[in-house]
Amino acid sequence: MRFATRTFLSSFIPFAVLLAVSFWAIRASVMNTVRDGLRASVRDNEVALTRERARNENRNRKLLEGIGENPSLKAGLQLLAAEGGATGQARDTVQDQLSEICDSLSFDFMMVSGERGEPLAAVVRYAGGFAPVNLTRLHPPEQGFFSADGRLYEVTSVPIREADTQVATLTVGGRFDISQFGVPAVLLHNNAVIAAQMRDLAPAQIERSLAACSAAADCELRIQDQQYLSLPLGRPSGKGDDGYALRSLQNVDAASAPLQTVLRKLFLVAGFTALAAMLGISALSSRTIARPLVDVVAHLRLSAATGELPEFPESHGGAQEIRDLTQGFNNAAKAVRESRERLTRAYVQFVGSLAQALDARDAYTAGHSRRVSEYSCAIAQAMNLTEDDREVIRVGALLHDLGKIGISDLVLQKPGRLTPEETELIQQHPVIGKRILENVQGLEAYLGIVELHHENLNGTGYPHGLKGEETPLYARVVKVADAYDAMTSDRPYRRGKSHAEAIAVLRSVSGSEMDPLVVEAFVLLGDQRKQQAAFAGTPSLQSLSEAVQSDIDRTGPALIAPWEVAGQVNSREREAS
Amino acid sequence: MWIKLGSCALVAAAVLAGADIHGTIIIDRKLSRHNVTASAGMYQRGVAVELGADGEADPLEFERSHVAVYLEGGPKSPVTESAKASIEQKDRRFVPDLVVIPAGSAVSFPNFDPIFHNVFSLSKAKSFDLGNYREGQSRLVTFPVPGLVAVYCHLHSNMAASIVVAPSRWAVRVDKDGVFSLKDVPAGTYTVVAWHKTAGTFRKTVTIGEKQDATVSFTLPYAEPSDASHVTHR
Repeated sequence: MRFATRTFLSSFIPFAVLLAVSFWAIRASVMNTVRDGLRASVRDNEVALTRERARNENRNRKLLEGIGENPSLKAGLQLLAAEGGATGQARDTVQDQLSEICDSLSFDFMMVSGERGEPLAAVVRYAGGFAPVNLTRLHPPEQGFFSADGRLYEVTSVPIREADTQVATLTVGGRFDISQFGVPAVLLHNNAVIAAQMRDLAPAQIERSLAACSAAADCELRIQDQQYLSLPLGRPSGKGDDGYALRSLQNVDAASAPLQTVLRKLFLVAGFTALAAMLGISALSSRTIARPLVDVVAHLRLSAATGELPEFPESHGGAQEIRDLTQGFNNAAKAVRESRERLTRAYVQFVGSLAQALDARDAYTAGHSRRVSEYSCAIAQAMNLTEDDREVIRVGALLHDLGKIGISDLVLQKPGRLTPEETELIQQHPVIGKRILENVQGLEAYLGIVELHHENLNGTGYPHGLKGEETPLYARVVKVADAYDAMTSDRPYRRGKSHAEAIAVLRSVSGSEMDPLVVEAFVLLGDQRKQQAAFAGTPSLQSLSEAVQSDIDRTGPALIAPWEVAGQVNSREREAS
Repeated sequence: MWIKLGSCALVAAAVLAGADIHGTIIIDRKLSRHNVTASAGMYQRGVAVELGADGEADPLEFERSHVAVYLEGGPKSPVTESAKASIEQKDRRFVPDLVVIPAGSAVSFPNFDPIFHNVFSLSKAKSFDLGNYREGQSRLVTFPVPGLVAVYCHLHSNMAASIVVAPSRWAVRVDKDGVFSLKDVPAGTYTVVAWHKTAGTFRKTVTIGEKQDATVSFTLPYAEPSDASHVTHR
């Protein structure tokens, strides 16, 4: 996982979880408060409703007492009494009276019963009129509910008095409509639902849920995963327990649903806004935190790709840790670089020592490798070769005669002319040098110089007789420097040539043996040296200047030195001329 | 009072008979506020309708036909023909609800309803209680004394009827057009009395000659219709 992702997640996830949990908690608490408030208001409502119902009943009772004083009705009762029983026209008469009263007062049921409570006459409203009731089948309570022909009536009774004596009871009632209450209500008889306003609930469900509720107490219940509140709506039955119970049944959840919806919407919007904000903030902060590190990593990747040692600017990154990190990288890189340089130095020193050892075999050749190296460097510089090329040439020139280690001193230091065998022996030194060096790791670049610095442009050189460009430029440069130094050096059997002589010789073989460009560069170098006083600035050129100086000093006796043993180049040169 | 008036008129009670008194009762506004129950089958009545609410019955016709007209002060003549008046109990109403009879007449009260009725009156002119009686039964009551008799039913408080017991035999109920005529009135001076249950009693003196018909008109009530609502809608 990437650092930025990790930073982002570790800042975002806890916050998101915290946010979700706190929103959930707030919502739950708000919901509870709302539900409690609603419950309280429902309860208040229903208490008021119950009180109102009781008041209405009281008022009705007074009205009914007025009806109980109706003289016509009393006359009808007397008629009944006189006719000796509730039969025939006397009962019809009373029933007619009852119908009339019901009609004018909008009752649905009316009954008179005698002193002992025996029903005398009763009528009930049906569509468009009234019908007498079969009294043998019907036994309505004095107060409460009863059902007849599938209809439910709520009735109440008043006494009919004659001179302070109760002679009869008048029972009056109306159709019971469960929807008359402002709240959803349910009427139960012996715990069985008789009438209910909730169409969406099956009676069996209501019964099951309400079974646990005590008759006169508030009750909270769950039906179909919804919270309901049920309260008794007064006591419909005044005398005794007739098994009827009227209860409200309010769906608290449904009532609070609109508010819940609003709350949910609000919290969703707020929650997602906060989450989005947090997402943005987390992304931004993780970027800010991770950026320096990402930059460092990118830098390292780049270094890995290019192979260079990484180096960071000192002021990189704002954080102390990042600075420490880059500083550490820088230090490590510096150490590696230094050790690498040390290694290179040691290797160069080794090469130098090798060359010195070679040179030391012969006093006359002492310093030859060093000088050739210096001349070659000067030429390379004059030819505008790159730093790397110059380095290869410098080291290669130092090593160019290494193969002479394998040549006997007798041959090497033999004064006088060499036999063809000896010449052949001498001519093996480039191959010997190559063979020595090719086993040493890191010196591959110099093998060309060591092996091929005696090849001629026209193919007359050794060991392979390569032509022209087949010989690498390094080798061609070193060849010129080698020839020049050989010609200008003293030998036991001759003096070295002067600078001008040597140049002349070089010019004479330029194009045939020597690379004309290299020769030209070398000649130009000498000319510049003469004109410029500051020529001796660089060490290599200083050697050249020394050489030139000594050349000037020895102009006179230079001719004395014989050319014969000036080296293979010279002999060839002579043969050619 | 009736006796006194009767003796005053005794002298004028003409020997000669033959003249008629024609008259008109003019009523230009509703006087009664009856709630009548529309007739329907037993136990099948609808809600009560106010009179005049249905267009069939003209309320003014109702008012005019509920005026009784009779003569006072004429020669006292015994009621020769026995009363044939009858007030039926039908659909919990008295039919008719106004009967005009000369004193001494009898009125029968047959019950045609399938329920009991109990007809009674507490009026000064005649007080009676016929008790409960069932369908098909009837009771007869004689009214010897002139006066007004209000008839009710104990069992049905909204049943009411009026009996005008006139001191003379010239007593009629005005027809629905407001026209009445008293026939064969002997010449003399009489007081024509018009009675309406709500409007009250109105009197006009009229003198009748031989073979000379007279015309008497009443406008009930006296006062012009007032704008005052408590009067108009009495």
